Amino acid sequence: MAQVLTARSLAIRILLCLAVLAVVMCLCALMGSQKVSLKKVLAGPGKSPGENIDYEILVGIRLPRVVLAALVGAALASAGVVLQAVLRNPLADPYILGISSGAGLGAITAVLSGATWSFWGGSPIAAFAFVGAIVTVWLVWLIGRATGKSQITNLLLAGVVVNAFLSAVIMFLTSIARSDQVHATIFWLMGNITEKNPSALGVSAGCILAGTVGLFGVSHRLNILSLGEQEAKGLGVDTAKTQIVALALAAFITAIAVSLSGLVGFVGLVVPHGVRLVAGPDHRQLLPISAIIGGAFLVAADTLARIIVAPAQLPVGVITAIAGGPFFLVLLARYSRKISWLK
Amino acid sequence: MSSIIEVKNVSFGYVCQSRILQDVSFDVKVGTFLSIAGPNGAGKTTLLNLLCGLLRPEAGSIRIDAARIESYSVRKLAQKIAVVRQEFVPVFDFTVAEVVSMARTPYLGTFGFDGKMDREAVNQALEATDTAQFSMRPLRNLSGGERQRVFIARALAQNTAIMLLDEPTSFLDLKHQVHIYDLLKAAQLEKGKTIVAITHDINLAAQYCDEILLLTGRKPAAQGPKNGTENPPSYLIGKAKDILSPAQIEEVFGVKVFTGKVGKENFFIPLGRFAKDGGQASIS
Repeated sequence: MAQVLTARSLAIRILLCLAVLAVVMCLCALMGSQKVSLKKVLAGPGKSPGENIDYEILVGIRLPRVVLAALVGAALASAGVVLQAVLRNPLADPYILGISSGAGLGAITAVLSGATWSFWGGSPIAAFAFVGAIVTVWLVWLIGRATGKSQITNLLLAGVVVNAFLSAVIMFLTSIARSDQVHATIFWLMGNITEKNPSALGVSAGCILAGTVGLFGVSHRLNILSLGEQEAKGLGVDTAKTQIVALALAAFITAIAVSLSGLVGFVGLVVPHGVRLVAGPDHRQLLPISAIIGGAFLVAADTLARIIVAPAQLPVGVITAIAGGPFFLVLLARYSRKISWLK
Repeated sequence: MSSIIEVKNVSFGYVCQSRILQDVSFDVKVGTFLSIAGPNGAGKTTLLNLLCGLLRPEAGSIRIDAARIESYSVRKLAQKIAVVRQEFVPVFDFTVAEVVSMARTPYLGTFGFDGKMDREAVNQALEATDTAQFSMRPLRNLSGGERQRVFIARALAQNTAIMLLDEPTSFLDLKHQVHIYDLLKAAQLEKGKTIVAITHDINLAAQYCDEILLLTGRKPAAQGPKNGTENPPSYLIGKAKDILSPAQIEEVFGVKVFTGKVGKENFFIPLGRFAKDGGQASIS
């Protein structure tokens, strides 16, 4: 009897992973430069501010941050899964279609313009980065479509070229900016989970969850799409529609993640591969589990970033890159057996 | 018997190239095994891509099961036609069972989970192709012959009336070539499937197929016959013993052949410049 994924076994695995995520989130919320007593926290908020500091630290500061890290991790890992499938490239990450440079350009524009307004509780940097990311992906999509038939290769090339071009623009802007502006931009670019106000967090959470559920809806078609367009059409998949839906949703949740936390690298590359090695390549399973594990991974990484040099904090992108870099090299070695030009 | 595939006056050319297929018409009856043969570049794969709806003809029409091919959605067409292309390996490490169950995609609901019927179809296909034994192995780790059987299993699990195959035996040794053709013949005889297979092996084609479509690669002038001479046909269709003659093969493929007989069937061995005995020896 052939064993293939059933809805029941998937549901059980998702629940197990959610339990792991919950445990990681609780543990990480309790860790930090300031010791927090669980007993005091459970006593509830004090009557006046400052009466129960433990409660305020945990519920007011750490929990939102842990939730934010989980959301960003989930969004990046899901987007990574989707881009690797649609582009049929195991080395694709959520930023490959220009989101990183677009967001970066948006961010530095916001810093240079000195805008101070806030939008849905988000900073101008976040808003500019979101718009920059979305516009850039759209541009890459248009270029990729316009250049001919073999769209997937062209899309990748367009992404690389646009990324390179915008990076040059970012460098130009950085070179003419004041040093404090440069510092703000670079710190943002490195990826940072910082406290956000509840309304910004709520809106982003809703968008990321909705996007991930939407992607789950196309996940079985991603299996087929990863075989190539001809094969996919032969198996009854409307390839153009599936590509557009998958890429648009992936770009959307990545842009939101980027606007929340800057450029957190490696999560979108490392987590899908890790999950794929353990659970196999079936996207109906790979997508939800990568999302949950991605969340847990970033919560843990952010906690490390908070406590390693406490009371100072590292950008979380440094931690994910330090953990993810070696992993990426292992992957490269593993896949290079198939990619002849790497030999 | 009614025709399940009707090709009428179909022409096709790629952009910036001369027409590769010109005014091709033929019918395929339900439950027949049609082989498509012809030299490289004659348009065999192009014709297959037209038949599975991947390409649209410039002129003429293709009907599948009496309805125009354009009237089918991708999904509906995939319930009628299964395609086995030349061998490829997926980017990700899917297992054999996973690859074969993908055949059920055209029948699945929104979230793509298969029901009892789907699993039965998959298991039957795995049994029929003798691939159940390695159903849990990654496709990547199989040999070429095993992989091709898996793709045939997938086509069977797709449960379609028509199977289209593009050179299903091109990388296989003799034993596996025969094995694949046996599988296809069994699907035709036992399940009543209509099979259209491109092949370079005219001997296998002659043995297994009911009809052969020979694309000659000759391009008739668009205006019809000139100076009273008949244009050579761009394709021939009929029983293998009528279509395949030494003269015809030499003309179409541009190579001399040695001809022998096995029972009533002719077989052909191509002869190059350095062929032993210059092809003069004869065996009966």
